[in-house]
Amino acid sequence: MEPIVVTENLWKMYRAGKVEVPALRGINFKVMPGEFVTVMGPSGCGKSTLLYVLGGLAQASKGHVLVDGNDLVTMNDAERTKLRRHKIGFVFQRFNLLPTLDARGNIAIAQHIYGESFDPHRFEVVTKMLGLGERLKHRPSELSGGEQQRVAIARAIINEPKIILADEPTGNLDTQNSEIVLSMLRQLNKELGQTIIMITHNPEAAAYSDRMVHMRDGQIVDGVPAH
Amino acid sequence: MIRQLIINNVLHRPIRTIVSVIAVGVEVALVILIVGLTSGLLQETAKRIEGIGADIMLQPPSSSMFLAFSGAPMPIKIADKLREMKYVQAVAPVLLQFSSSGSVDIVYGIDAQSFRDVSGGFVFLEGHDFQGPDDILLDDWAAKAKQVKAGDKFTLLEHDFHVAGIVEHGKGSRMFVPLATLQDLSGSRDKASVFFIKCTRPEHTQAVMDALKPVFPGYEIRPLKDFLSMMSSANLPGLDAFIDSMIALAVSIGFLVILLSMYTTVIERTRDIGVLKSIGASKGYIIRALLGESALICLIGIGVGIAMSYAGRAVFLDSFPTLSILITTDWIVRSAAIALAGGLLGASYPAWLASRKDAIEALSYD
Repeated sequence: MEPIVVTENLWKMYRAGKVEVPALRGINFKVMPGEFVTVMGPSGCGKSTLLYVLGGLAQASKGHVLVDGNDLVTMNDAERTKLRRHKIGFVFQRFNLLPTLDARGNIAIAQHIYGESFDPHRFEVVTKMLGLGERLKHRPSELSGGEQQRVAIARAIINEPKIILADEPTGNLDTQNSEIVLSMLRQLNKELGQTIIMITHNPEAAAYSDRMVHMRDGQIVDGVPAH
Repeated sequence: MIRQLIINNVLHRPIRTIVSVIAVGVEVALVILIVGLTSGLLQETAKRIEGIGADIMLQPPSSSMFLAFSGAPMPIKIADKLREMKYVQAVAPVLLQFSSSGSVDIVYGIDAQSFRDVSGGFVFLEGHDFQGPDDILLDDWAAKAKQVKAGDKFTLLEHDFHVAGIVEHGKGSRMFVPLATLQDLSGSRDKASVFFIKCTRPEHTQAVMDALKPVFPGYEIRPLKDFLSMMSSANLPGLDAFIDSMIALAVSIGFLVILLSMYTTVIERTRDIGVLKSIGASKGYIIRALLGESALICLIGIGVGIAMSYAGRAVFLDSFPTLSILITTDWIVRSAAIALAGGLLGASYPAWLASRKDAIEALSYD
């Protein structure tokens, strides 16, 4: 089986004035389809940058990033946007829901951007699985943190992306909601074979995954099974 | 879905939306009212001049068709010469005097009999025709605006007149005084500004004009049949430029308010823009969403502006009954198009800015 994500000697430099600061230093990393991988490491080690590069939100400075066979390094912004639309779902720590839309709108807009007309069947399956049936007419400000994150997960998976990229999805949640969200991610991974790459500080959260990768100073220092 | 996003975003900040809508409304109302006022006054003036019933108007050389701008008066003896010409049935010499006391008016100094011969006479709503040198006739609109009735005293050109009668509007001017009196008041003894000529039959108009040209070389000889169509802003020097300036000013208001409103919207929604990008929204999608928001504000503003125009006209006409404001479908459509184009243009830069935002920076925006 071919890996769904491959990075080869991946570098990402940020410019701070006249100085170039490396955020990623030659990352070599593979994720297999259906794998649930967590990336751990101290703040500033480059975890989020790695996630943004894998999701095409940031352009790599050097090396290769293959997502489902597409090399993001050679793609322009429009091509990376298209790839993100069709193959990647993001879940953020701060939920990042659109405040003017209700839960239903926040999920449906992803379908609209994807270019599909509203698919009521898919919508029902996803919202039912995430336990959102009763909360769909509420705006983000009327939802609890756990509910907002579940809406965010629904938005991420509504178009059946190949990969879910989760940036500390339990960082703003209490223990109980964290467990619910992590269980759902795990369920998505187990039942639907969803590939998930998750960033976390929390070893308990990492325990839900198949494999942990540790980063330090922009490099992967080790990779071990989570269990 | 994008429609829902646009509508919800517009409703999200009601004060900002209301201010933007009012700005577009003012823009639309300004255009409609300024154009309506100028074209209304021109048309109404033209109709009044046509309403005299003459076929030809003779003016001194280089005179404007806008009678208020007419040149130096002509000897009144010309009337006798005109009356001798073939196919000429009647000639009415009229002296024009500009008055700006209280309001801007053109006073007609007329010879009652000759003016009656050309125009068929006034329809009296109150009072009677001239009986003395200090008599004045006002039309019903002027009487309403100046709140006078037959029998009142009325001061004009620093002279006390007696309001002899109130006549139906539509016979050239709104105020008529005896020709000799106006000649004395303006120091134009035996002079007239314009001669209105009535032909024996309307078909003879061209023949009379052809006969007049060699006798009065250089004089302005105009048929009154097409006067209405000739009375346009294009024929009044500077008026088109004035209208264009006013439209530009109105458009600037709408453009700047929409630009500012959408710019602050983009700043405020930086994170939302980042979210849209993270779920795969293209630059075009983000531009469409913001332009759609601007277009919706403009459309509401256009509706408000049209309503404001009619309300403004009602208020103006109540306060100044002699005004005429012509609101036409043509200019409603044009002002709507101008407002929409201005709004979209104003939103273009913020929309472009939003589409180019760095997704990661946008997502970390607080």
